[in-house]
Amino acid sequence: MSLSDDNGLEILYGVHRADLRRFLIARTGDAADADDVLQELWLKARTLQAGPIDNGRAYLYRMAQNLVVDRLRGKQRRMERERRWSDQATDFAAAGVEPTDRSQTAEEEILAREEVATLVSAISNLPEGARKAFELHKLEGLSHAEVATRLGISKSGVEKHMAVAMKYLRRALQD
Amino acid sequence: MTARTEMDEQMLDQAIAWQAALEQDDADWDAYLAWLEADPRHRQAFDSVALVDAAITDNREQIMPLLSSDLDVAVDPRPRRWRPRLLWGGAIAASLAILIAGPILRSNADPVVYENSGTTNRSLALANGTSVILAPSSRIVVTGKDASAIELARGEAYFDVRHDPGRMLTVSAGTYRISDIGTRFSVNLASGTFRVGVAEGVVSVEAQGIAKPVRLDAGHQLVGGRGALTLAPVDVAQIGSWRSGRLSYTDAPLALVAADISRYSGKAIIVDPSVEKKHFSGSLVIGDGSKLVGDLAGVMGMETQSTGNAVRIGAVR
Repeated sequence: MSLSDDNGLEILYGVHRADLRRFLIARTGDAADADDVLQELWLKARTLQAGPIDNGRAYLYRMAQNLVVDRLRGKQRRMERERRWSDQATDFAAAGVEPTDRSQTAEEEILAREEVATLVSAISNLPEGARKAFELHKLEGLSHAEVATRLGISKSGVEKHMAVAMKYLRRALQD
Repeated sequence: MTARTEMDEQMLDQAIAWQAALEQDDADWDAYLAWLEADPRHRQAFDSVALVDAAITDNREQIMPLLSSDLDVAVDPRPRRWRPRLLWGGAIAASLAILIAGPILRSNADPVVYENSGTTNRSLALANGTSVILAPSSRIVVTGKDASAIELARGEAYFDVRHDPGRMLTVSAGTYRISDIGTRFSVNLASGTFRVGVAEGVVSVEAQGIAKPVRLDAGHQLVGGRGALTLAPVDVAQIGSWRSGRLSYTDAPLALVAADISRYSGKAIIVDPSVEKKHFSGSLVIGDGSKLVGDLAGVMGMETQSTGNAVRIGAVR
């Protein structure tokens, strides 16, 4: 990468801005959301002191993608908290108690624990092969190729196991 | 976020495949864009897969200790190529070195995996005068012609690196990257917790969430985990003391101590949420590893509870 000075990323952002916007519109399905993410991305690109970057364009796409997923995840958590609170409000009808007064972090922690419990039980119930492939790839951080070598199966075998695992966990988390 | 209409199975398969493909360094973002633009339901399918993935990533360090640890899958028994320029300190026959295919690191040399699955430390002499001592149940991945990139995949390793300003050497562990090395230091990585202690010389550490690398000189440690990063002075004699049979800690998160004990005792040590925020300072004698958890609980005034191959450590009830 020739743009190795401090504002290399910001320059790259300028170069790829139009592409990134098109990508974000396709990714979020909404032009206003896309612009919000784009703004966030610009702020990051400006402040982040990146080391030498091999492929700046791919780096920015990945950053954009991660920002979209972070927002999705935030939205999911917010919805889950609201749903939970309204459930409790119906049960206890705590009149006059501001919902935000209850510790939001405690609430978050409970939700996180439940999510962990759901994931652990779903992973434990995976078929043997899918479970091993999943644990090695997602938890131990081995690449698909490394998992294939470790388990003595083909790379496409690993991909099939991973697809089974992801679908199963998706269902478990949705219930 | 429940989909209104049942997601097309095929779209879900595609989304899962894209999710995996985008993890690669050479991901084809243009083809991914084309796929997204082809049908708005592709985006929804991808969102649902990305959320599953995010849930796993966010909770990874909590999930790992809770799964009964039969993670150590039998290694593929096929014979493998041996690399004579890399020397093992211990018996070659007992060692496990796996050559992995399709490296994700861009390099002209194959990565070589060194795994110590035994109960004693192993000494490795890498190219270019770097020597490594690998603790039990630990693994490093060495890449590059001059062993210029070393990844600690799990466990703990002690590095003794000859200073050479003309050489680029990095040791990565999880999301942490150690560079500018000409020194002796010990690195530990366990279920999301990271620690590096410098015994001699200086290193520079890059981590997520910090703009500039942290510089550590002798007698300092950097501990990371749960989004926090702590730099603190530490007794030089403590660093790498596991090489001589003691586990020493200065204000170490209990998760890190538990992970170390898991490696030496062969049992899954589960830290109960009631004590998970506690830190430990002190020294434990390793011995055969079986007494470590009891000793830790004793020193910290906590209770242990054994179930099968797991020991839960928590507050006294």
